[in-house]
Amino acid sequence: MSRDRILSSLRTSLASSRQWLAAEAARAPHDPPPHVMPPAADLAAQFADELRKLEGRAYLVADAEEAIETIGDLLAGRDASQAIAWDLEQIGLPGLEALLEARGVALLDPAENGVDRKHRLQRLEPARVCLSGVELAIAESASLVLRHGPGRPRLASLLAPVHIAVVRRGQLVRGLGEALATLRARYGAALFAETSNLTLITGPSRTADIEMTLSLGIHGPPEIHVILMDA
Amino acid sequence: MTTHPLHFHERVDTALHDGSLQTALGRATTRFITNRAGAIGALSDADTLRDQARAIRAGALSRLDELLERLAANVEARGGHVCWAADGEEARQYITRLARERGVQTIVKSKSMASEEIYLNEALEQAGLEVVETDLGEYIIQLSGETPSHIIAPAIHMTREQVSGLFSKHLGMPATDDIPTMTRTARQALRQRFLQAEMGISGVNFGVADEGAVVIVENEGNARLCTSVPRIHVAIMGIERIVERLDDLGVMLQVLARSATGQKLSVYTSLISGPARAGEADGAEEFHLVLLDNGRSQILGGPYAESLLCIRCGACLNACPVYQNIGGHAYGSVYPGPIGAVLTPLLQPDLPEGYMLPQASSLCGACQEVCPVRIAIPDMLLRLRADAVRAGKYHPAEKAAIQSYAIAMKNPALYRAGGTLARLGSRLLGRKGRIRRLPPPLHLWTKHRDFPQPGPQSFTEWWEARERRKA
Repeated sequence: MSRDRILSSLRTSLASSRQWLAAEAARAPHDPPPHVMPPAADLAAQFADELRKLEGRAYLVADAEEAIETIGDLLAGRDASQAIAWDLEQIGLPGLEALLEARGVALLDPAENGVDRKHRLQRLEPARVCLSGVELAIAESASLVLRHGPGRPRLASLLAPVHIAVVRRGQLVRGLGEALATLRARYGAALFAETSNLTLITGPSRTADIEMTLSLGIHGPPEIHVILMDA
Repeated sequence: MTTHPLHFHERVDTALHDGSLQTALGRATTRFITNRAGAIGALSDADTLRDQARAIRAGALSRLDELLERLAANVEARGGHVCWAADGEEARQYITRLARERGVQTIVKSKSMASEEIYLNEALEQAGLEVVETDLGEYIIQLSGETPSHIIAPAIHMTREQVSGLFSKHLGMPATDDIPTMTRTARQALRQRFLQAEMGISGVNFGVADEGAVVIVENEGNARLCTSVPRIHVAIMGIERIVERLDDLGVMLQVLARSATGQKLSVYTSLISGPARAGEADGAEEFHLVLLDNGRSQILGGPYAESLLCIRCGACLNACPVYQNIGGHAYGSVYPGPIGAVLTPLLQPDLPEGYMLPQASSLCGACQEVCPVRIAIPDMLLRLRADAVRAGKYHPAEKAAIQSYAIAMKNPALYRAGGTLARLGSRLLGRKGRIRRLPPPLHLWTKHRDFPQPGPQSFTEWWEARERRKA
C-alpha cells in the first residue's frame, strides 16, 4: 500500500536528516508575532487606510442607524434587486431586514447542499450584492476573517460583484498572529467541528496576469465595502 | 508529456532574441522585485520573521511522517478521503477513476504546480474529461496550448495583443487592447464553467496537520469557486507542504504573500477542512486530499533535503539574472528559475536535459538573498553540477578545456605564457575594454554578451613591479 511505502521511505530518510532539521527548527521561535507592522494608535483608521490602498472602501459609522443609512446609499444605484446574504441574525444589524424590504431587495435562498445543486447555484448567479458579517477583522492588512458555516454561506462573499461586510469595532485585531490566537482561544480544537471553511479576504478580487496590469473582479467581487461600526 | 522540440541552448537562444518576451520579462520581474522589497522592508522585523519561517518549515519536515499521518487522520475524521500517491501515475489514476465513477464531465481547476508536475490535465483529457483552468494566467496559456512560464504569473511572457487575439478566437471577444474588457470576458466565460462543473481541483499551499485543513492562497477568487461550487473537491498537495499548527500560518502566510507579490496577505486565503458539514449551503459535498510523494520522501534523506523547505513563492525567479533574461519556458521544466534548477533534476529525473539547468546560474546568490526560508540554492546548484559531472553528463570539449586549464595551473611558466598570449590576442580583438566576439569555439560565450578585455599586465607582473618599487 502506498501509504505505508511513503511513510517507510520518509522514516528511512529522516533517520539521516532528522537531526539537522530539528537543529534548524530550534534556531527561532515558532509562535507568530501578534502583528508584523509597527502598531497604529487607531485600529479602525488603520483598517480603513489599508483597505483604501487595495481599492476597497471602509465606512466608519457610529451606530446601527448610521450603518443602515450607509448600506442604503450603497444599494441605491447598484441595481440590487437580488442579493445573497448570511442569515440576517448572523449579521446581527438591527434594521437591515427592514431596509432590504423597503428597497425591494430579494434575498436569494442559498438553501442547503444536496440535490439539484447546479440549478440551485445557477439561481444565485443574478444576485448583484453579497451581504455578510465577519468573525474578526485584521487592521494592519485590512483583512476580513469569515468563519463560514450553517447560515453563513461562502457564496455570500464571493458570487456577486459587490460585497458589503458589517464589522464591529470590537472585532478588530492588530495582526494575523493575534487573529489566529483569538480563534484558538474562542474555538480550541473545535474550529472546524461544525464548519468546513475559514476564509480571509483582503481587498477586492484582483489579477495582474495580463502584462502585470491590475484588474479588479476577475472572479470574486470587484467591489468590497466594509461598514465599521463603533457600537 | 510535454516535449520540447528544441534543446536547452536553442531555447535560451530563442528567448534571448524574442523582443516581446524580453519586454514582458523586464516589466514583470522589475515590478515583482520592487513590490517584494517594499513589503519586506515595511516589516517591523523581517529577518526574524524569515528565521521563524525557516524554523517552522524545518520543524515540520523533521516530523513529516508523524504530521502527515495526523493530517490524514484529521481529514478522514471530518469525512474527507485521503489518497497517498507514491508517484504521478497513482495520483492521476485516483483522480481519473474518481471522476469516472462519479459521472463527472467538466472539471474546473485552480492553480496547482503539483498537478503540472504530474501532467494531470493530459491524463484527464485522455480519459475524455473536460478540464478548464480558471486562474486567468493559466486559462490564457491553456487556450494558447502552452505551459506556465512563472510559478506566480503563468502568462507573464505574453502581451495584451496576444491575449486579445486568443480571446477573440476562442471566446468571440471583439478585438480590443483594453485589459479590463479582457478580464470581464474571462469572468463571464469562466463563471458558467464553475456552475456547470461537477468537480473542482485545487493545489495546496499548506496542509495544517492539527486542523486537518488545507490552505489555499490566491488573488482572483477562482480557487474559492473551485472549492465551493462543484460537488466534489480534490486538493493535490506535495507531501512536504505541511505545517503543524494553525498558529504557524501567522508566520508562513506573512512571508508567502510578501515574497510572492509584495502583498501583506493575498486577497483570499481559504482554509478547508473536509467536506461541507450538515446545514452548510455550499462547499463541496465530497472532499479528497491527494498526498503526492513523487520522489520527495527520497529527497528528504539526501543532500538536497533543504529544497523541500520551499513554499513556491517565486521570489527567486524574479531575482535571478538568468531567469530575468530567458524566462520560464527556456528551462523546459515544470519548475523554472533557481529553485526549478534544483527541483527539476530531483523531481523530474527522466527529463533528459534536467542536469543542464543547474548550469543556468551565475551563482550570484540573489536567489538565496530573497528566499523567505533562506534556502541555500547556490550551494545546491554547485553540488548538482558536481553530480552531473560524476554521472558523466558533460560535453567532451568542456572536459578538454578544464583539463588544459588544470595543466596550466600546475605549471607556472605555462600559465604565464598562456596569460601573455591571451593579452596579446585580446589587444587585437578588444575595443574600449570589451571584446565583442571571441574566436571559435569561445564565440558561443560572446554570442549574447561581451567579454571584458584582460588588463595590460597580469596580476603577477603588477605585483612584482610593485614590490620592486617598494624595494
